[in-house]
Amino acid sequence: MSVVVGGMRLRGPVLAASGTFGYGTEVPLLERRALGGMVSKGIFLRPRKGTAPPRIAETPSGMLNAIGLQGPGVEGLIRDYTPQWAGWDFPVFVNINGESVSEYRELAGRLDGVPGVAGFEINISCPNVEQGGLYFGNDPRAAAAVTEAVRKRTRLPVWVKLTPMVSDIGVIARAVEAAGADALCAVNTFVGMSIDLNAYKPRLSFRTGGLSGPAIRPLAVHLAHQAARAVRIPVIGIGGITRAEDALEFLVAGCAAVQVGTATFVNPRAIAEVHDGIADFLRAKGFTSLAELPRYLPRD
Amino acid sequence: MFLLDAPVTAKRQVARDMFVIAMDAPEIATSVRAGQFVNLGWSPGPLLRRPFSVYRVDHGRIEIVLKAVGDGTAQLLAMRVGDRLSCVGPLGHGFDLMSGLRSVVLISGGLGVAPMPLAAREAKSLGMRVTWVHGARTRDELCSEAEGSDVIWATDDGSKGFAGTAVAAAPDADLVLACGPNRMLSAVAGRWPEALVAVETYMGCGTGVCLGCAVPLRGGGYDRACKEGPVYRAADIDWASLPSDLAYAVTP
Repeated sequence: MSVVVGGMRLRGPVLAASGTFGYGTEVPLLERRALGGMVSKGIFLRPRKGTAPPRIAETPSGMLNAIGLQGPGVEGLIRDYTPQWAGWDFPVFVNINGESVSEYRELAGRLDGVPGVAGFEINISCPNVEQGGLYFGNDPRAAAAVTEAVRKRTRLPVWVKLTPMVSDIGVIARAVEAAGADALCAVNTFVGMSIDLNAYKPRLSFRTGGLSGPAIRPLAVHLAHQAARAVRIPVIGIGGITRAEDALEFLVAGCAAVQVGTATFVNPRAIAEVHDGIADFLRAKGFTSLAELPRYLPRD
Repeated sequence: MFLLDAPVTAKRQVARDMFVIAMDAPEIATSVRAGQFVNLGWSPGPLLRRPFSVYRVDHGRIEIVLKAVGDGTAQLLAMRVGDRLSCVGPLGHGFDLMSGLRSVVLISGGLGVAPMPLAAREAKSLGMRVTWVHGARTRDELCSEAEGSDVIWATDDGSKGFAGTAVAAAPDADLVLACGPNRMLSAVAGRWPEALVAVETYMGCGTGVCLGCAVPLRGGGYDRACKEGPVYRAADIDWASLPSDLAYAVTP
């Protein structure tokens, strides 16, 4: 069940998605044996207090969240969490965030070489404050600039987490591949809104939030597939995976690995169940390794 | 923290629209503290689990108290004896009852009765005199179950007991514990800054990772109702920033 993603061998194809696993220290129930790796809660250079409540709203088969990347900042992360990661038997990737290219560059430089940090997942779904608040992830040049800035600061694996809120994900995928990304993660949450009919206003204080959960799965499978067709580097599929069959859809659609997120809120054993279910499927179909799984990835 | 398959063992009505559901959850029953909660899921059901304070504990069973305030709780109320719930708990930080105090007042508004029977039991075992002040809008919305050396009833419309809020009806004591709508808890904070209050928030994971249940603190920043909470010293909360109008909240 081991897979190679962007030059790094993972012991399994199922990873914990950023923002759904904290810093890996919170959930004692989780069966860590099944973890191919973990992506930490998104971090900025400086501490962030996060958005005002209400921060979450449940929707049909999904949830909206606007947490505001609450976190301790990079120095707090290095002080409180990375020393624990260094002793773990699975790699921890740090999800990095910035308001400018230079902030991403500084974060990567600060974290590169810190024991316990196995690599980076760049969240490009952040507004570029220096460019009028346009999201890095919506602009191929800005997405490439961030990727290149991080790439030049580290020899660790650099993954780029793509936003689904674009008209052609292939354009962004190719831009960050050319800028030196080792792998792509597809996709981040969809921007959504839900209205409180008693208060006549949005249910989230931030107005909008990121939609996750099974509600987005077919959309995410399609976008991950489109990204995989656009590039040569591996794609890690994300979006509404709750069972092994969901993960297998992403894998057959061209992904090298998957991340499980919202499902772990509901089922503390979700990652182990997805991992074991993939192994059961392969066995039942007569495959001896994940590499033998047929992929639907036509190249036009 | 345990993840259990918990069959429903009983259901009873305790007020208009308010029910108690009991389930087998032995590991939780023996370890839960007053003010802690369980996170319940069921299938088919909503995506997210639903958090409930543990109401009573008896011989390997735990009880929760609920009203149908949305689709999820309506499904839960439709459960029958033998139906299985997935139960994670005990979760959160409950009421810390210091020994050496002589008297405690429990103030509950509406569904805020939820953590009080366990709190009353722990207080009694520490030798405290327990007064329970029970508030609701009307007589038939008052939970019919109460315990304590003294029980004071309060209704907004005066149909039973004191005419007015539970906060106004409550006497002073060495320690005040309160649970109910956040608006009520804000009034508790005004009168007894040292009171311990169990707040209400929306919750995502219940285990501290999603940061969805943010509670604004007076000293700045947020922490998690599911982890550091749901019980807080009343004076520590920034009440003006804590939503008091959750869509499912019961008004006092």
